[in-house]
Amino acid sequence: MSADQAVAALPETTDPVVVRRRRSAARPVLNVLMLVIGLVFLLPLLWLILASFNPRAGDSLALPHPFSILNYHLAFHAGAGAAIGNSLYLAGVSTVIATAVSTMAGFMLARRRIRFKGAFLVLILFLTGIPVTLLLIPTYQIFVSLAWLNSRFYTSIVLASMSVPFSIWLLKNFIGQVPREFEEAAAIEGAGEISILFRIVIPLIIPGILVSAILTFINSWGAFLIPLVLDANPADTPGAVGIYQFMSANGQVQFGQLAAYSVLFSVPVIILYLISSRWLSGGFSFAGGVKG
Amino acid sequence: MAKIVLRRVTKSFGSKVAVDDLNLEVEDGEFVIVVGPSGCGKTTTLRMIAGFEAPTMGTLHIGDTLMNHVPPKDRNLAMVFQNYALFPHMSVARNLSYGLRIRRTPKKDVDSQVHEIAEMLGILALLDSKPAQLSGGERQRVALGRALLRKPQAFLLDEPLSNLDAALRAQMRVELKRIHAQFPVTTVYVTHDQVEAMTMADRIVLMNHGELQQVARPERLYAEPANVFVAGFIGSPKINLIAGQIEHPDGASALRCLATTIPITPDIADRVRSSQSQGVTIGIRPEDILPCSPLGATPGQPVLSGCVEVIEPLGAETHVAVRVGGEIVTCRTPPRSGLEVGSTINLSFDIAQASIFDASSGLRLC
Amino acid sequence: MTAAVEPPAGDDIVIAEPRLRVLIRHVVTTGWLLPSVALLVGLFIIPTGYAIYLGFTNLELLGQYAQTYSFTGFANLQRMVHDPTFWYSVKLTLIFVIGSGIIAQTVLGLGLALLAQRVNVVVRASVGAIVILAWVLPEITVAFIWYSFSQAGGTLSHIFGAPGSDLLSTVPMLVVCMANAWRGTAFSMLLLSAGLRNVPGEVDEAAQLEGAGYWRRLFTVTLPIMRPTLMINLLLITLATISDFTLIFAMTQGGPGNQTAILPVYMYIEAFQFNQLGYGTAIALTLVLIGAILSIAYIRQLRPELKDATP
Repeated sequence: MSADQAVAALPETTDPVVVRRRRSAARPVLNVLMLVIGLVFLLPLLWLILASFNPRAGDSLALPHPFSILNYHLAFHAGAGAAIGNSLYLAGVSTVIATAVSTMAGFMLARRRIRFKGAFLVLILFLTGIPVTLLLIPTYQIFVSLAWLNSRFYTSIVLASMSVPFSIWLLKNFIGQVPREFEEAAAIEGAGEISILFRIVIPLIIPGILVSAILTFINSWGAFLIPLVLDANPADTPGAVGIYQFMSANGQVQFGQLAAYSVLFSVPVIILYLISSRWLSGGFSFAGGVKG
Repeated sequence: MAKIVLRRVTKSFGSKVAVDDLNLEVEDGEFVIVVGPSGCGKTTTLRMIAGFEAPTMGTLHIGDTLMNHVPPKDRNLAMVFQNYALFPHMSVARNLSYGLRIRRTPKKDVDSQVHEIAEMLGILALLDSKPAQLSGGERQRVALGRALLRKPQAFLLDEPLSNLDAALRAQMRVELKRIHAQFPVTTVYVTHDQVEAMTMADRIVLMNHGELQQVARPERLYAEPANVFVAGFIGSPKINLIAGQIEHPDGASALRCLATTIPITPDIADRVRSSQSQGVTIGIRPEDILPCSPLGATPGQPVLSGCVEVIEPLGAETHVAVRVGGEIVTCRTPPRSGLEVGSTINLSFDIAQASIFDASSGLRLC
Repeated sequence: MTAAVEPPAGDDIVIAEPRLRVLIRHVVTTGWLLPSVALLVGLFIIPTGYAIYLGFTNLELLGQYAQTYSFTGFANLQRMVHDPTFWYSVKLTLIFVIGSGIIAQTVLGLGLALLAQRVNVVVRASVGAIVILAWVLPEITVAFIWYSFSQAGGTLSHIFGAPGSDLLSTVPMLVVCMANAWRGTAFSMLLLSAGLRNVPGEVDEAAQLEGAGYWRRLFTVTLPIMRPTLMINLLLITLATISDFTLIFAMTQGGPGNQTAILPVYMYIEAFQFNQLGYGTAIALTLVLIGAILSIAYIRQLRPELKDATP
């Protein structure tokens, strides 16, 4: 057949990935290369999981023999259980505070005309750049004078405030994207402000609130420096500090138990991340409510 | 049902004036269409009537009550938004009944009324669906249904047809008129499409740059436009606007335009003379310029000779652009008129059918 | 709703909104903003201001200067300038940021992003998941894993061919940089992948037609187009790495000796182990200053792009 016929016989595609594939003959090499990199990244994780199931775990990569969950039992009773409970408290309380506070502020910033709104938003953006290291010592001093040290609750408030600037930005932008027409339609139908808020606005901004909450929770869960400095009460020790203390305890490092401890501590965050990434890639569309 | 009166209403946002000194009276049960190009202030006016904005100056009365700062929920109005604003987390049935449920209407009544409206609008099968599952036309009907159910004292519609394709739009124009005949509620409808305005309105309110240009029945707006803007906005194809001068050869009065002199009656001459400047703009509708024989059809009417530049056959008629006396003039001819680009054509028109505007102010002289 | 007295027609009438409604609206708006403002002022702005003051005092954790401390002017600053550990710490910080952040994470991230464009879907998804998993783990977990990994007899030492040596003692900065690179690569990979997607395919194809090979296209076409993304990536990595505490502290506590005492760790040691709160704050202030300078440098690099974007 002629050249034109041959070209016409090719299946139509504009998919760039497919088009590139046709041209690249080196693909198998690239696949192998990426797999090798992946394997390198996998090794430490593999060690962690294997060690956690290995009652005789050392610091080298080895298959557990026998495979058992003894380490998990031991870790749990040696303090992992209590510590994770504390992390739950710190992350939970700080998330509730930060999300509530940021949603209220984000809503007002998105919907109402406020004097100096622009300056306020720039300030908040700027605050996201201030590192914890700067705030640590003065906050410690303030806590000393207020006698707020060694308290889970006040530590949670500090953790909450770390997340507030970013959460306000996130929610303000998110709420700003929700078309005002929903609120206007409800208003003209006769709904009062409170009814509009609870029946119309909140259902529509729940995805944004959830993303903000999950991000705050993940950040507060892994908190190390702030609880280390602000709360010396052993009963309040959260997971991260607990693992550290376990690591630096005198005597042989209990690799197996620590591995189990770490896995227990890390799993909640991984699960949350999986949940939220599904939300994020699903996108937030007000399907059907407005055209397009 | 109520009368809507705007007196000297002005709305400004900071230094920008969106609506300037608007006076408007919408009669009880009237279907009024506010039309104009983007940015003319029509949507702002509608939003002031709805209560989402308050007038900076002036008064708004709905049904004899001063409403400047009354919240939208207390105005007993219904609105169809450009993007429908159907609550995405509620089913069609719950969307329709939203207003009724707020007023704590008994469930039995709610259900029967929803059923009735859904039947009338042909959306009965969709009652349990969510808005995301509906097509554009279906969503629009739900939005209409929600407004109708409330039995408000006035309907407000903000470009409701602009998101529909042309065929659906034509169909909905007929539907809306039918619904208004069945429920003769005072209606204020905003659009940028002059075809919708001409076909549906009892009266048209034409705005430009925040200012009212003219309020009149569609026929009057078409035949007697108040200024050059109105003349150009209404009517398709666009009216021919030709520059002209008043002259007085041998004591009589005449208009000089398109390289021809046209005698005018003393009556017209008087009104034209009252304008400040010597120049005028003459507006002639394309259907009023007719091809004729070189000797002219009617005495007193000018004969213009020109060259055909563009021919646009539309099937039922043909639009022809002719270069006459240095300007381009559009006229409408029957199909199969046998014209060719480049050929010479003779045209004639009756000056009495034209509108004459002052060249500088644009206002109508006669 | 009351029908007001008819104002005379013809005048400029202004009808004001009922005062009570305006007041209620202002109260509600303020009330909703207040909690966040209180938190931000109390736990951000005040501590920041306080920090700027404290950095110039002789406050200590315990003892006499804990109760009564005073403003000491530039004493802390002088001490810093003459403190060899401080300068060593600055050097370490720069090595850490540049080595693990800028070089390792960016190169690895870019490499993975480029590979991801051309490999099998399964490979891309699975390797991507592993790399991201490393990023999602709490920092303490990463610290523990790499601590164990680099012990004598640990897996890493086996790989390095020195099974008997405790790598964390022999090459501490290297291990710590590797750990941070392992942890942070995912961020660069994701960000740069998005940046790559935004490079129009036609530009690359036009270059191919001109005869440019892969590497030439990469360096003369793709990367220059991606410059804003690359800059933002560098900026974010720098800011995150420069103030990173947990990873290094949990692994080495700054040691052995001071060999991994980057500025945040050094600050902690001075403040809470040597009780020098004032001096520690001064170190923290310096850290913020360095971060700010670097940020400005990056943003300057971005400005030509921004200028082109706005008409």
